[in-house]
Amino acid sequence: MTTRTTTLLGVLTALAVLIAAPAASQAATVFGSGSSAEQPYFDALAAGYRKVDPHTKLVYNPDGGNAGAKDVQQGKSAFALQTRPPLPSDSGLSYAKLFLDGLCVAVNPANVLNNLAIGQVKDVFLGDVTEWQQVGSNLRSPISAFGRNSTAGLYTFFQSAVLGGATQATNVAQLDTDGEVAVAVSKNQAGIGYVGLANSGPGSGVKRLKLGGQPCQASAIKTLKYPLSRYGWIVLPARHPNQAATRFADWVRTSYAAGRIIAKAGGVPAFNATHPPKKAKKK
Amino acid sequence: MAPANRPQRASRGLAPDRRAELLLGAPVCGVLLFVLALVVFVFREAWPSFARNGLSWFGSGGNPDRQIQAIFTSSDLLRAPVYTFHAWPIVWGTLLCTAGAVCLSFVAALFVAVFVVEFAPEWIRRTLEPVVRLLASVPSVIFGLLGVLVLVPFVGQHVITNGARRSVAYIVSLSGYSLLAGVVILSLMISPLMIAVFSDGLRAVPRGWLEGSLGLGINRWRTFWKIGVRTARPALVAGTVLATARALGETVMLAMVTGGVSFAPNPADGLIFFVEPTRPLAATILQTAEELSSSPMRHTIFAMAAVLLFSAALLSLAGWAAKQPMKQHGVRA
Repeated sequence: MTTRTTTLLGVLTALAVLIAAPAASQAATVFGSGSSAEQPYFDALAAGYRKVDPHTKLVYNPDGGNAGAKDVQQGKSAFALQTRPPLPSDSGLSYAKLFLDGLCVAVNPANVLNNLAIGQVKDVFLGDVTEWQQVGSNLRSPISAFGRNSTAGLYTFFQSAVLGGATQATNVAQLDTDGEVAVAVSKNQAGIGYVGLANSGPGSGVKRLKLGGQPCQASAIKTLKYPLSRYGWIVLPARHPNQAATRFADWVRTSYAAGRIIAKAGGVPAFNATHPPKKAKKK
Repeated sequence: MAPANRPQRASRGLAPDRRAELLLGAPVCGVLLFVLALVVFVFREAWPSFARNGLSWFGSGGNPDRQIQAIFTSSDLLRAPVYTFHAWPIVWGTLLCTAGAVCLSFVAALFVAVFVVEFAPEWIRRTLEPVVRLLASVPSVIFGLLGVLVLVPFVGQHVITNGARRSVAYIVSLSGYSLLAGVVILSLMISPLMIAVFSDGLRAVPRGWLEGSLGLGINRWRTFWKIGVRTARPALVAGTVLATARALGETVMLAMVTGGVSFAPNPADGLIFFVEPTRPLAATILQTAEELSSSPMRHTIFAMAAVLLFSAALLSLAGWAAKQPMKQHGVRA
């Protein structure tokens, strides 16, 4: 056998080992996709779930809630995370609520305004109200409104819950992510924007407004009194869902550990056990 | 008598030069095939959008953001696909950002390159060259962050007046996210590239030509400007083409600082024009890329990509054509 043939055989053997090793480790990889706003929750939950089921590896592509639902319809993903309720177009899909989240309306801390009615928020984002004084603020300047681009899942929710299905006005700056909206509002005294609960907390440089007298806080969201309370959903195929994805969804919905992770990540656990499971007594 | 040139021995007996030629030629052919496949793929995906809109794809009419939403939602199973798209505000935004940044940085880069090559003391040259190279390699997202955290708030607070805000408040919000912010930061990003290419071109000017002029008693500035810069024109064209291509394709930074609204800044608005928001093609592709799973949206996104690709090809062709008459006496670049 020549040296060249021996080298070739060696390389082929090494390749075979490299390909076979992951398959032999019995780890099942489950692919998911969907809302980019839900990604912080998913990352924390997937890390926690690894301790519960080390043989399941969860991979998530944050391509947008609407895109994620389509991925599940087309069989590209085993599950999707979504921030809006099901629509008639979601045929062949089953939606399950996972936890509660809130969409906050935030202003710059220099603004003395503390409360707005949903109708006023609608007027601002439809461009009907353009001056801060028209909504009772101390600022004598025009409003600088910041929102998300029209294809974001968060925008879809805002559009249906606040704008009544109308499109936000051209005078609303459209930014790519939740974090960018928070930064824009924190750097602009006349700014107002809609931001997720996690990105508008202490240290974000923005002030959450009460809506209709209800604060954007876990306490009001849990009781659904806050008008922009919303569920985070998991989307699975209605027929033959992936068993590993179903087990993950059940764990997120019901377990005490997942509830703690959701609360830590900024969400509000809705269906999770409030006490840790009792350990079996040793005989 | 042995038979000459046996065919079965010919492959083993390839000369080293011939073997190297084949080895290096194969990847080159691969690259050419890849480019061809890329162009075919992009245009094939883009065709339904162009076919349904015709030339009105490039025209104005309606709000492109609303059109994008209508295109995206039309892919729901219960509706017929919608393709109506008039991209003029986005195309105009791309033209403004690119042209503004290229003009601004051309002037700046030319003066810096002339200074570095001809007038700068040795220690400044030694410091400046690595700094320019470093600036050229800074990732665009860092420039984007700089824009969002420094330039945009500065423009919003110190450049735009409340009067200016009120004058267009019902149409567009002047918050600092603007054409101006995009152009200024884009200039910062493409200038180092221009400086590097311009400097190389200026350095390649034969010293004898310059010394001849100096020997006739003409001062350094005039000598360099009239002979050095004129001779290096092909290099200036090459640098400008490279920088324009970079500006045309810049995505992340522009998506972060231009305001994300598909609005066409209007020169008739006076100085407000510069602080109006816009959104170029590449940034629009980035912002809508989440929706690739919707078939009509995918065709629309690829149509925007095809326009960018065609512009880049046209740019290279224009650069080549512009260099032809200058080649006779110029420095090749």
